[in-house]
Amino acid sequence: MKKKGLGFYLRIYFKILAQDIKSKMSYRADFIISTIGMIFTNIAGFVSFWIMFRSFPSINGWGYYEMLFLYGFSLVAITPVQCLFDNNWSLRIAVYTGDFIKYCFRPINIFFYYQSEVFDIKGLGQLAFGIGTLIYSWNKIGLGFTPLILLKMIVFLITASLVMIAMQNAAAATCFWIMNSFYVLDLVTRFKDYAKYPVTIFSPVFRFIFTFLMPIAFIAYYPSLVILRPDEVPLLSWLSPLIGVVFFWLSYKFWMRGALKYNGTGS
Amino acid sequence: MSAIIEIKDLTKEFKVLNRREGLKGSIKDLFSRNYKTVRAVDNISMTIQQGEIVGYLGPNGAGKSTTIKMMTGVLEPTSGEIRTNGIVPYANRARNAQEIGVVFGQRSQLWWALPLVESFKILKDIYQIPDEKYNSMLELYGSLVDLEPLLHKPVRQMSLGQRTLSDILAAFLHDPKIVFLDEPTIGLDVSMKSKIRKLIQALNKEKNTTVILTTHDMGDVDALCRRIVIIDKGKMLYDNDIEHLKSFFGSYRTLKIRPDGELSAQAELIGKELPNFSVTADDEWIAILVDEDKSKVIDVLGQLQKSHKIKDMQLEEISTEEVIKKIYEEGVS
Repeated sequence: MKKKGLGFYLRIYFKILAQDIKSKMSYRADFIISTIGMIFTNIAGFVSFWIMFRSFPSINGWGYYEMLFLYGFSLVAITPVQCLFDNNWSLRIAVYTGDFIKYCFRPINIFFYYQSEVFDIKGLGQLAFGIGTLIYSWNKIGLGFTPLILLKMIVFLITASLVMIAMQNAAAATCFWIMNSFYVLDLVTRFKDYAKYPVTIFSPVFRFIFTFLMPIAFIAYYPSLVILRPDEVPLLSWLSPLIGVVFFWLSYKFWMRGALKYNGTGS
Repeated sequence: MSAIIEIKDLTKEFKVLNRREGLKGSIKDLFSRNYKTVRAVDNISMTIQQGEIVGYLGPNGAGKSTTIKMMTGVLEPTSGEIRTNGIVPYANRARNAQEIGVVFGQRSQLWWALPLVESFKILKDIYQIPDEKYNSMLELYGSLVDLEPLLHKPVRQMSLGQRTLSDILAAFLHDPKIVFLDEPTIGLDVSMKSKIRKLIQALNKEKNTTVILTTHDMGDVDALCRRIVIIDKGKMLYDNDIEHLKSFFGSYRTLKIRPDGELSAQAELIGKELPNFSVTADDEWIAILVDEDKSKVIDVLGQLQKSHKIKDMQLEEISTEEVIKKIYEEGVS
């Protein structure tokens, strides 16, 4: 038996992905309607954002385009969790009904096997929307374009994604211990909406919560400071890639711990 | 032949919260640490040889699933030892999974939206099956079942029978040493049941795969298993050949008669006449369980004919099902 490295897992992932997309495309009406739904959700989010800014030209020193940048940044950062880890939403049901046990019988990583099963293609529309918003605000702010800033952008987008994924993993994995884990997952998702505001607009209590307890400040605020305010980057921003990796690793360990203690139901 | 599964003094205990009744009880339970220990599997030992088909039987809640989960490496035993293929399943879940196949009755393990052949291709990658082995396996499948209509159909659209068939094919695809089948024929019609039994038998013979079969369908047992293991309440009741089991109880036959007169009253009378045998009555028949070691059925019938007017009679051989029912109820004495 050959060793199962990254190449092994990538090959399997893309095979499942290709098949999954193929079968989803075959439900054309479903695909089109959900894509339209996704576009409207994004437009509605953007419109409410725009209306708010007509009343307040700046929030705590953050201008319209900077806020728009933050908004686009969080949209792009959320894409991986939406596309690749969407099966976390079904985890609760799989565990409750006992179907989860089937993931324990294959000679591959349980976390990988479980997450590989669903790819949410709708997230790609959100990605396009987010990138559009980013480029537009980028131009308006006049950030310039150098390889260094692009590199920073990529590193910090990945950081932000990792934090988001970690939060969702941890929230979903609570279902291995408690029955009504939906509310945990739902709560985390709702808090994610605050990710697109600078954490400085909140009171110190919430600032602490959003930084250390429910680390949504790392989804857009801390990473984008590196791009937007290069002169006043706090230490937490520079640390955020490390924090992102650590969060992700911890959430993975937590998830796997739950999966390995899983007993299933009687049959 | 060599041992493929070795189980020694295996025990699994679960901690269960002592639940109280009613809303008040539920609220108290929130703060209670009042656990009791339940032994789902109690000191079981057995050795299974390569190529055997073993029927693993027991009433619901007997501990069958728990044992299977320990053999597949999903559950850790509380005490005792398991070795499958010479390794400890729980400590080597992934390595163990490479050498086993699992089918859980009504839970498909295939990718729901994909046609079967695509599922096979993904499994080929996951188990790293070489091309020639994969192709020869498909060829074998083609010779055993009508494969073509299954291959290009998404699992979601299959009938329960087709899905079970597909799940069994998928479980054998990587030529595992052991396949666990948990109620593979549940909910299927008679012809599909027989198809699936034939398939399991053929694959076992062709590949010398060890099969552990749990079922409540005695048809499965009669068709497939030479050896059966029976557990109840976590304890092993029986582990031997099915022939041995039948001969153990084989001297029993059930004589059913329909005499003149009211059945239950007659049954009581006959019961007094034949104190050695159990006599029961239903709406149509009086059933007498005759132990042929004590007296022959024909003699019993002759004796009864002297004192009763018998209108009709039937003779039933004891079935595996009844034997097992008897064991569940009384144990092997």
